[in-house]
Amino acid sequence: MVQQRPGWWPRFSSTLRSTAVTARIGRVLGIAIALLFVTGLLSHYQYEPWAWLPEPAKPVWGYRLTQGIHVATGIATIPLLLLKLWSVYPNGFRFPPLRSIKHAIERLSVAILVSVALVQVTTGFLNVLNWYPFPWYFLTVHRFLAYVLVGSVLLHVGVKLPDIAYGLSAKVAEADVLTEIPWNENPESHSNAGTLPNPPTTGISRRGMLTAAGAGVGVVILTSVGQTVTPLEPLGLLAPRQWTKGPQGVPVNRTAEQAKIMAAATSPTWSLEVVGPRPYRLTLADLDLRVVHEARLPINCVEGWSVGADWRGLSLLEVILQAGGTADSRIQVISLEEDWGFNHSFIEGPQLSAALLATHLNGQRLDLDHGYPLRLISPNRAGVLNTKWLGRIEVLS
Amino acid sequence: MKAWRIILAIAGIALGAFGVFRLVTEIPTHSLLILLLWLAVALVLHDAILAPSEVGVGWLLRRHVPDRARRFLQVALIMSAIVAVIAIPMIFLRGSQPAAKALLLRDYGANLILLFGIIAVVNLILYAVQVRWDRARALRQAQGTSASR
Repeated sequence: MVQQRPGWWPRFSSTLRSTAVTARIGRVLGIAIALLFVTGLLSHYQYEPWAWLPEPAKPVWGYRLTQGIHVATGIATIPLLLLKLWSVYPNGFRFPPLRSIKHAIERLSVAILVSVALVQVTTGFLNVLNWYPFPWYFLTVHRFLAYVLVGSVLLHVGVKLPDIAYGLSAKVAEADVLTEIPWNENPESHSNAGTLPNPPTTGISRRGMLTAAGAGVGVVILTSVGQTVTPLEPLGLLAPRQWTKGPQGVPVNRTAEQAKIMAAATSPTWSLEVVGPRPYRLTLADLDLRVVHEARLPINCVEGWSVGADWRGLSLLEVILQAGGTADSRIQVISLEEDWGFNHSFIEGPQLSAALLATHLNGQRLDLDHGYPLRLISPNRAGVLNTKWLGRIEVLS
Repeated sequence: MKAWRIILAIAGIALGAFGVFRLVTEIPTHSLLILLLWLAVALVLHDAILAPSEVGVGWLLRRHVPDRARRFLQVALIMSAIVAVIAIPMIFLRGSQPAAKALLLRDYGANLILLFGIIAVVNLILYAVQVRWDRARALRQAQGTSASR
């Protein structure tokens, strides 16, 4: 079968590639994808919790940790994925290209896996960079594509399990060279020819290559994670966010100008409408009398950046109790902003009791971009759900 | 192992089919078609352009750079490529956002060059150490040979 290849058929001679190398990269990549899947599901839960299991308020840094891991891991996955694909590239040039129906199906499943993985990590990174050169709603497609990706990975692991077992048990330096000819058809392969000297690597060694790749990924993580691990901000050569440059030391994801609330939010006649069994209104003057609560809480964005901040404001629970609600009520907070999917959010359970209606941030009156005159802030809560520029609060039950 | 393979395959196909079902039922057709286009383009860009370029660079290095120097050059290139993949989109998108978002404000082009420089200097130092070490060893061997004569 090997001899039938036409002369122009690509031949891969690098001894760096090996199932042992691929299996080791694949193991790291698999762990990364599992981490991404779990932290991703936790993030979706923030948006759509089950009624009987509201999002907890403790630990306050919960979402900061899980979403920080999600985005840092996602960024690291981009080079890991490319490395993994480099290591198996000759497999695409087996001859003949399609041997049987089974082989055709396997190749199709690999094509789906590769394309979905590439699109998933690319669009995820573009979302972190707030660039959307695609027409679909990122959140939904990212979520459902994740099911397709993880499903394809499981199938791929099932199909390749014998190769994975060989790759992980073989020593990196000695294992078969991976070329366009499968090892079991190659009489010269290490496994078939018996004990041979290690495949010579004239340049970098396989282990050296893995170390260099690990170092590269390490540099990427170290220089980008400062957007989440705030003390590392000065090292953040490749960090998308720079929390020190945000207004009042905190970045925002939606500015007052984007939300078109400038006039409504700065109006001296602004008041908060509280709707419940005993409805009432709070004016700007009322707010000043009731701002007695303080909390140190991180704001943690779905895009991975986060920063701790000192918040001051009213207790949401007290506002709700006055309107005739209880600590068990389900509450909707509504922004002055119109025409945006996240111009409102729901809060209940532990987060309701822990939440502030903030008027001050880091010792100053809230910046307009941070939601002046009044915003929600609650622990362990996705940033976008801490609704800004509040105009109305409803006790729903 | 066989049982595991079957379990993994069935679980994978089920989860993947669920994802496809949700996509098809909840995403508008127009968006789905563009998504299909993205998936196809991603595969072509990688398999027809990026991966062959990697192979080509490796081939050129093997032809033109001596083994010892190539090792350090390969380490530097692998690290640089990994860093560049993350930096390049940010170089292009720098300054595209309102200031209050504190997003994409840094000079990622300069930062990438700085990282390239650090990677290059570290590898040059390691290369110099290797050259000296090889020379010292060759000298010791030469002396050993002459002494035994």
